[in-house]
Amino acid sequence: MSDTIIEVKDVYKCFWVGDVPFPALNGVDVEVKRGQFMVLAGRSGSGKSTLLNVIGGLELADRGTVKVCGRDFNETPADERTRFRLRNIGFVFQAYNLIGVLNAMENVAFVCQLQGKENSECMDTAKHWLTEVGLGKLLDRRPHQLSGGQQQRVAVARALAMNPALVLADEPTANLDSSTGRELIELMTRLNEDFETTFLISSHDPAVLAAGSPVIHLEDGRLLSTDPNRPPPQPPQAACAIPQRNWGQRFGAWITGKS
Amino acid sequence: MALAPLFAMAARNLGRHPRRTGLTVTAIAVGLAALIFLWGFSDGLHSNLVRNLQDTIVGSIDIHPKGFFQRPEITKGIVDPKHIENALEEAGVERWTRRLVGFALAAGPRHTSGMVLMGVEPETEGRVTTLGDKVTIGRFLQADDDYQCVIGAGSARSLGVGIGDTLVLMANDRFGTLATEEFTVVGIATGGELGIDSGMFITTVKALQEMLEIHGQVSNYTLRVPESRLEPVYSALREKLCVERFDVLRWYDMYPMIHEWIILSDGFHLVFLSVVLLIVLGGVLNTVLLSMLERTREFGILMALGVQRSQLALMVAVESLLIGIIGVVVGATLGIALVMVSARVGIDLSALVGETRGFYVDPIIRTRLDLQHLWITMLGMLLVSLLAALYPAWRATRLAPVEAIRHG
Ligand SMILES: Nc1ncnc2c1ncn2[C@@H]1O[C@H](COP(=O)(O)OP(=O)(O)OP(=O)(O)O)[C@@H](O)[C@H]1O
Ligand SMILES: [Mg+2]
Repeated sequence: MSDTIIEVKDVYKCFWVGDVPFPALNGVDVEVKRGQFMVLAGRSGSGKSTLLNVIGGLELADRGTVKVCGRDFNETPADERTRFRLRNIGFVFQAYNLIGVLNAMENVAFVCQLQGKENSECMDTAKHWLTEVGLGKLLDRRPHQLSGGQQQRVAVARALAMNPALVLADEPTANLDSSTGRELIELMTRLNEDFETTFLISSHDPAVLAAGSPVIHLEDGRLLSTDPNRPPPQPPQAACAIPQRNWGQRFGAWITGKS
Repeated sequence: MALAPLFAMAARNLGRHPRRTGLTVTAIAVGLAALIFLWGFSDGLHSNLVRNLQDTIVGSIDIHPKGFFQRPEITKGIVDPKHIENALEEAGVERWTRRLVGFALAAGPRHTSGMVLMGVEPETEGRVTTLGDKVTIGRFLQADDDYQCVIGAGSARSLGVGIGDTLVLMANDRFGTLATEEFTVVGIATGGELGIDSGMFITTVKALQEMLEIHGQVSNYTLRVPESRLEPVYSALREKLCVERFDVLRWYDMYPMIHEWIILSDGFHLVFLSVVLLIVLGGVLNTVLLSMLERTREFGILMALGVQRSQLALMVAVESLLIGIIGVVVGATLGIALVMVSARVGIDLSALVGETRGFYVDPIIRTRLDLQHLWITMLGMLLVSLLAALYPAWRATRLAPVEAIRHG
């Protein structure tokens, strides 16, 4: 079993506003090892969310390779990527992560049930992880009855209840005050140490950066580098020059809903 | 992959906006109940109409010599009644009567006028029609009557006769010679339908046979069967009787207008049904799409967690199907209950329409549950819920996770 969980090589991802291309990712390489707690830093608009989405297989890169646990997403159809996510990747977003009609316990148990496990087993798992994140007493609360920080902790518990190889968290502390945010980060680092789950967390929160974990910096869709010999970034037109798809391929993409 | 949690979620989602869900369910239920009731009302009206038409004079099926209905000639009747009566027995028809029908002149003290001549057998006529009930002055014919007659009120007035007076009837007998006979008026009938009021001369078969020397002959057999047995009895009789010699006509072969009116009215109900279904479709679609829009972000989260788009679609479809099924169950229960109750109690329209005289409808309408119409209505409604489920489900399969998560 290889030690590399995330392998991103020379990845480009462009967004088109009308005819104008914008390279949100402009040649990115990232490698994350099993058990690492990696922070993805960068200003707003630098491409953090885009990179996480591509790593999570929520969307595909235009060019380059994205491999998670050795699985190449460019060669995996959408449905299979979804199935892969269900087994291997936990997601935590900035806010409003939870399903409104389910209480904390059900929110956590839900993914476990989706994985096809026994109901009672899932309930135990959910209770275990909610206790682990310090919410053992709030199992019956619906999301709207929980504070923002508590909701984020439920989301973390849910991500871990899947027993994933990797947890991707996109600015999980952005909606929290600084001390609550720090607590959440401490919680996640502890979980990383205790259970050796790999974490990749994006943030522009100084407290997160100061936590002492390894950090990758993104700027304008590229990793920050001090190497003076590195070639300059490709201009948008070149970065986004993807082979034009013909009508048949476009129609196929429209039918299958793949962008 | 386990679908149970998704179905549980679908059910919970209905409770997310109880008032909105409730309104949609109510819309379906009330719409369906109204449709069922309206059709039940119209079915009740129709069956009342049909029954009254048959009861008054027409009967359900009429057997007579070929072409007689178009050109009745009293002396060209059925000469071998046994043949027909055997067929009737074989077909299991118990309620039947025999008649003689033709034209004649009746002379009263004031006037002479042409009349429709109808000979009945008083002992069996009552098994087939309620003709006797139309007599408002005097009495109807009895088994031992011979040269007695019942005439319409209009004729009585123009001829200038009353109860106990005599009328002279003139008609051609079997040999074409003019036969005349005196009849005593014993009853006067009122009723706007089918010319009973004016121009109808009702007497006994016996008297006419004697007067016109057509012993043993009748013009027609009039049968009464329940509407549900009409077609089987009709085909059985047509099979047994020689169709070259006899016409077997159902009530609506003789009086097609009412039948056509019913078909037209049912057609109208189908159009009406479609319009209501379209409105309901719009309503349900609106609710489901709105609730989808509100949850776009949640759908994105679900996809990030590993829920397939097809599973999302299934969940959305289950949601609107649930709304539809609940609505249909409630609506059908309500509608059927309404029809049953007003079938028993009856809806009194006399204040609205007064006494309908020229028409065969009782002022008190009893609704009727036609199972076929009930199925059509319920299936239509279910189909609409299914349609309202499919489109949002299809929309769900088109969601891109990243866009959905960025939403709201
Ligand atoms: N759907 C889109 N269409 C057009 N441009 C987009 C789209 N999504 C992202 N972008 C652009 O791509 C760039 C990277 O966006 P991204 O969301 O990855 O930034 P980020 O680093 O996560 O920012 P933040 O810290 O504010 O969340 C931004 O400049 C953004 O404007
Ligand atoms: Mg972001």
